[in-house]
Amino acid sequence: MSRVLVPCHVKGSVALQVGDVRTSQGRPGVLVIDVTFPSVAPFELQEITFKNYYTAFLSIRVRQYTSAHTPAKWVTCLRDYCLMPDPHSEEGAQEYVSLFKHQSPSVTFPKWLSHPVPCEQPALLREGLPDPSRVSSEVQQMWALTEMIRASHTSARIGRFDVDGCYDLNLLSYT
Amino acid sequence: MLQEESDLSLIIAQIVQKLKGSNLYSQLERQAWASLQRPEIKLESLKEDIKEFFKISGWEKKLQNAVYSELSVFPLPSHPAAPPEHLKEPLVYMRKAQGSWEKRILKSLNSMCTELSIPLARKRPVGEQKELLNKWNEMGTDEPDLSLFRPVYAPKDFLEVLINLRNPNYENGDSLSFRTHLGLIQVPLKVKDIPELKECFVELGLNIGQLGIDDSTQVPPELFENEHVRIGQKEQDSAAAQQYIRQGSPTALRAELWALILNISSQPEDVLYYEQLKTNVIQHDLLVDSLIYKDVKLTASNDDYYFVFEDYLYQVLLCFSRDTSVLSHFAFNSASPPKSYIRGKLGLEEYAVFYPPNGVIPFHGFSMYVAPLCFLYHEPSKLYQIFREMYVRFFFRLHSISSHPSGIVSLCLLFETLLQTYLPQLFYHLREIGAQPLRISFKWMVRAFSGYLATDQLLLLWDRILGYNSLEILAVLAAAVFAFRAVNLMEVTSLAAAEAVLADLSTLKVMPLLQIFLFATVT
Repeated sequence: MSRVLVPCHVKGSVALQVGDVRTSQGRPGVLVIDVTFPSVAPFELQEITFKNYYTAFLSIRVRQYTSAHTPAKWVTCLRDYCLMPDPHSEEGAQEYVSLFKHQSPSVTFPKWLSHPVPCEQPALLREGLPDPSRVSSEVQQMWALTEMIRASHTSARIGRFDVDGCYDLNLLSYT
Repeated sequence: MLQEESDLSLIIAQIVQKLKGSNLYSQLERQAWASLQRPEIKLESLKEDIKEFFKISGWEKKLQNAVYSELSVFPLPSHPAAPPEHLKEPLVYMRKAQGSWEKRILKSLNSMCTELSIPLARKRPVGEQKELLNKWNEMGTDEPDLSLFRPVYAPKDFLEVLINLRNPNYENGDSLSFRTHLGLIQVPLKVKDIPELKECFVELGLNIGQLGIDDSTQVPPELFENEHVRIGQKEQDSAAAQQYIRQGSPTALRAELWALILNISSQPEDVLYYEQLKTNVIQHDLLVDSLIYKDVKLTASNDDYYFVFEDYLYQVLLCFSRDTSVLSHFAFNSASPPKSYIRGKLGLEEYAVFYPPNGVIPFHGFSMYVAPLCFLYHEPSKLYQIFREMYVRFFFRLHSISSHPSGIVSLCLLFETLLQTYLPQLFYHLREIGAQPLRISFKWMVRAFSGYLATDQLLLLWDRILGYNSLEILAVLAAAVFAFRAVNLMEVTSLAAAEAVLADLSTLKVMPLLQIFLFATVT
C-alpha cells in the first residue's frame, strides 16, 4: 500500500478567548489551528506528522463527508492527547509526533489510535516478541536499503584524519 | 505493521548494521566456519547445531553482551521526520547555546594560535619523532615551557554560560512566584524528586547490602560481603554485571567488571589500533598536546593520589586526541567537532578535516577523567579503551549543553532543586550571604568528583554510575554533602567561608551519605 503526502493548507492559529481579544492580559491557553484540503478528492487519512512547540494537550476534530446525501458533520477523533507530561518542564516540548490510523476494516470511519512518541523507552513487547522470520526478512530489506545508501556515499577512510598524509592546518573554521 | 514492531525492527536493523562492522562479527564468522569440523555439527540441522555450539562455547554470551552494549549507548531511533540535529539535542535554544559556546572556544584557540605563532598541527621532523619514541614511557620527565599556554576554558567559565541559558518560550513573570527559580539555573528541565530517586536507586536502600557500608571492619563479612564477592566472581553477562555493580564492586573484581559492563575485551586488533594511535602521536604534533601537558601538570601531577600516573595520562590523552572513532559519538552529543582546512585550501570541502582528529578540545581538569582509571588498568591499550568508552558514554555529557537527564544542565538543576526542596533553610541562608550552592558544587559534578574524593570512595561512586547508566547520582551526592555539613554551613557568613567548609571532601564516605540523604532524611 503506497502512501502519499496530502497537500493541505494550515491556517494561522486562532486563540479561543472570552471577552475582548485585544487585551493583553489573560493569555489564552487554547489555540485552534484549521487545516483544509483544498482540491483533493476524498481520501483515507493514515498519519498526521508534526513538530510540537510547547503544546501540552491536543484535540483533533474532523469534518467528515459520509455520503453525497447527508450533510458533513464534525467528529472528535482525539481529545486531550497528552504531548507534554509535565507542561511546566521541557519534556516533549519540541518533539516530532506522528498520529496513526488503526487498521480496522469493520469501521467505515477511520478510528484514531493515538500513539506515544518514540522519544523515550517505547512500551514494546505488549503482545510478546514479533515473529523472528518476519523480523528477519524486514531486517534484510532494511539492510539492503542501507547498503544502497552507503554505496552512494563516498566511503570515509577509516582511522585517517589527514588528507593524503598532510595535516598542515591554518586556523579553526567558524562555520 | 504496528508501530511497536516497526520500532523494534528498526532498532534490530541498526544494531545488526553496527555489529557487522565489528571484530566480534569476524570472530563469529571464523568460529562458525571452524565449527563445521566438529562431529556434533550435522549438515541437515546446520543452523540449529551452530547456534547450539555458540551457546555452549560462550560466543552467544559475547554477542548478547555486545548487543546490550549497543542498546545502552545508542539512543533509540527517533521519529523519521526528525533531522540529525534533533537526535543531538531536541531543544533548539540549547543547540544554539551550545553553538555559541563552541564558537567562543574556537576563537580562543585561534587567538592562542596567532598570538604564540604556533600552528594547530605540524608534522614532526624525523629526529624529533625518534626522540619522542624513546621517551614514550617517561614523557612526564619532560619540562616543556608551557607558561604561554593557557587552558581554553575552566569549569567556572562554563558555569556562567549555563547560568545565562534561557528558554525564549518560558516566562516567569515579573513577580516572584513559586515557579521562579531561586537557584542559578533558569531553564525548566524535568528533574526527579526524592520519591522518584528512591524508586530509581532502589538498590541503595537501607535494607540492601552495599559495598562502601556493609564491608566495613565492624560488619562481619558473612552477612553480606562474602556472598557478594562470590556472585561477582562468576559473572559473565554485561547486563547482570551492571545490575550487580549497583551494590558496589569488590576491589579485586572491579577492573574485570567494568570491562564486562563497558564490553571491552582486549583483542589483538585493539592493541594494534592503540599502537596506530601512538604512531600518529609520534608523527604529528598538535597544539592540543600542549594543552594536555599543561592540564596534567596543573591537576593530576599535583594530586597526592594521581601524580604517580602522570606518564600513563599522557599515553592515554595524546592518543585519545588522534582517535577518529570518537567522532561517531557526536551523533548523539549536542556538541560538534571543530573543523579546519588544510593550509592553502580554505573552503575546499575535500580538504576539510576535524581538529583535533577526535573532535574533543580538552579543558582545565580534563585529565582527571582518566586518572582514577589508572588504579584499575595498567596495560596502556586496555586503559585507553576503558577511558574512551567511559568518555563516549558518560563524561562528554558533563561539558556540553543539552537537555539530557544526565547532562550537566539537568544535574545542576537537580542539585539545586533537591537542596531547595529538602534543605530550604540552608539554601536560603547560603543565597542570602551570596554563596549560591551551585557555585561550590559545580566543579565537583563537572569532574564527576575526581580529585575531590578519596580514590576508593570515588571508585565506589563510579560503580554506581555504571550500574545505573546515569550521572544523576553526582547531583544527589553533591546535595548529600551539603546536607552533611549543613550545621557548619548555617554558621558561615560569606562565600569564602562556605567554600572553606566544603574545601576538603577527602574524608567523606559516599555510600552512607547517599543512603542517608535518599532513604533516611525526614521529608
